[in-house]
Amino acid sequence: MSALLEVEDLAVSYGAVPAVEGVSLAIAAGEIRVILGANGAGKTTIIKSLLGLLRPRRGAIRFEGKTDLLRLKPHEIHRLGVAWVPEGRQLWNTLTVMDNLRLGGFGQKDDTRVERQIRLMLERFPRLGERQDQIAGSLSGGEQQMVAIARALISQPRLLLMDEPSLGLAPLVVRDVFQLVREINAAGIAVLMVEQNARQALKVADWAYLLATGRIVESGPAAEIAGKESVQVVFLGGHA
Amino acid sequence: MDLFLQQVANGLVIGSTYAVVAIGFALAFTVLRVINFAHPDIFMVGMFTGLVAATQYPVVGVGLVMLAGMLGAGAVGFVLERTVIAPLRGRDVLMTLIGTLGVAIMLQNGMALIAGPDPVAFPSLLPRRSIDIGPVALTLRQIANFAICLLLLALVSFYVRGTSYGRATRAIAERPDVAAAFGVNVGRICQFTILLASLMAGAAAVSVGMLYGSASAFVGLLYGLKAFICMLVAGNRYFEGVMVVAIAIGIIEALVTGYLSSSLRDAVAFFVMIGVLYYRPNGLFGSYSS
Repeated sequence: MSALLEVEDLAVSYGAVPAVEGVSLAIAAGEIRVILGANGAGKTTIIKSLLGLLRPRRGAIRFEGKTDLLRLKPHEIHRLGVAWVPEGRQLWNTLTVMDNLRLGGFGQKDDTRVERQIRLMLERFPRLGERQDQIAGSLSGGEQQMVAIARALISQPRLLLMDEPSLGLAPLVVRDVFQLVREINAAGIAVLMVEQNARQALKVADWAYLLATGRIVESGPAAEIAGKESVQVVFLGGHA
Repeated sequence: MDLFLQQVANGLVIGSTYAVVAIGFALAFTVLRVINFAHPDIFMVGMFTGLVAATQYPVVGVGLVMLAGMLGAGAVGFVLERTVIAPLRGRDVLMTLIGTLGVAIMLQNGMALIAGPDPVAFPSLLPRRSIDIGPVALTLRQIANFAICLLLLALVSFYVRGTSYGRATRAIAERPDVAAAFGVNVGRICQFTILLASLMAGAAAVSVGMLYGSASAFVGLLYGLKAFICMLVAGNRYFEGVMVVAIAIGIIEALVTGYLSSSLRDAVAFFVMIGVLYYRPNGLFGSYSS
């Protein structure tokens, strides 16, 4: 596998408290991979390290086999083609939907391409088109998640990092979100997702990692992981 | 009624000056999460560089004196950001507070050493003329001050609402991490924000120097305090909110001076602050949770 992103022996601490210890993982262009884990397992810590928002204590993160992400600032990592759908959406709630989308294209060289991407997103999510001048904080949870995803796609990233995209959404919306993940991936974007909703995530992913207290305890093809008894017990609510 | 209108007009003039200083404070606090106690003294430095330009080169005219004030204040703001704010930003808010307070004390006393501790005359630059607008009489300098401050406020408002850098500035104010991950160079925007606030303070300082005909090394103290109060009363969510509160405080001060006593004037801002924060601890227009 020629990896788009490679993480080797990553260790991150908050002060003296270790959050992630010796994590290695990789994702190739065009893949969907998921990191499953309970609250506090270190999922968000991994994502934030990839984005340059946290400084790991140890380890290596390489993009396309050569670029060392640990030496780059967050905005420089974004420029390589890494985009983020944060946990709990984290929209700019005081800004309009349109401003949120425009900020998704901040710093892109080609303005007309950004405008075209925004138009595409408003066509894909007609509800956002109707609400483009509303303050983002006034939208429903599902609509906000659509803004968060659309915002991340404006820059036409090569790798999309999704942090618990199904969290706090109604079941029907959750189905839409996972459908959307397939659609994004079909457009050639690699998706690295962290999730607690193992059942749905394992259905869309190619490969899965299990994270427990900061360490990867299992990894393998998603279908295989879904069949494992330990996974059944921990994440899927009992025996299948 | 005439007294009322006259005092409202006077209040608008002085309130617009508070607004310019307050918006500089608010920009630093909202965008960088830094309480920049040196900001009022950057204003003071702008006043003196303007004064030097006006007295050394009497023919240069109002525009160039104002430019000198902006350059002086901008230079101090730039150096302050590079040497004190940037290295300490993102740590405990007390660090930058104490750091900038130290710079404020240096600037005040440094200037007192150069120019003396007492107020010095500031050249009027504009003709002494009074203009009647209905029942209200304003001096040319008052009108100029109001126009300059209003222009500066309009420029800031346009910047944060209508430009892509301004949008990124508001994005940092609400969620710095997300802004960074979406390609915003946070350090660069923070640098520009302090520079912008300083340049504005410099322009306003020259305008205030002309208005009162005097400059003092300690002029920043009262402006700084009132500007800080304006920001607390408005909350840091909307820059325009800070402008409105600053102008309102200016008007109330003028009315208190006209109807009650001028010795009560400087207490007004504090009464307003206590009253508002008692009922709305996040300010009239709300604040970002930090």
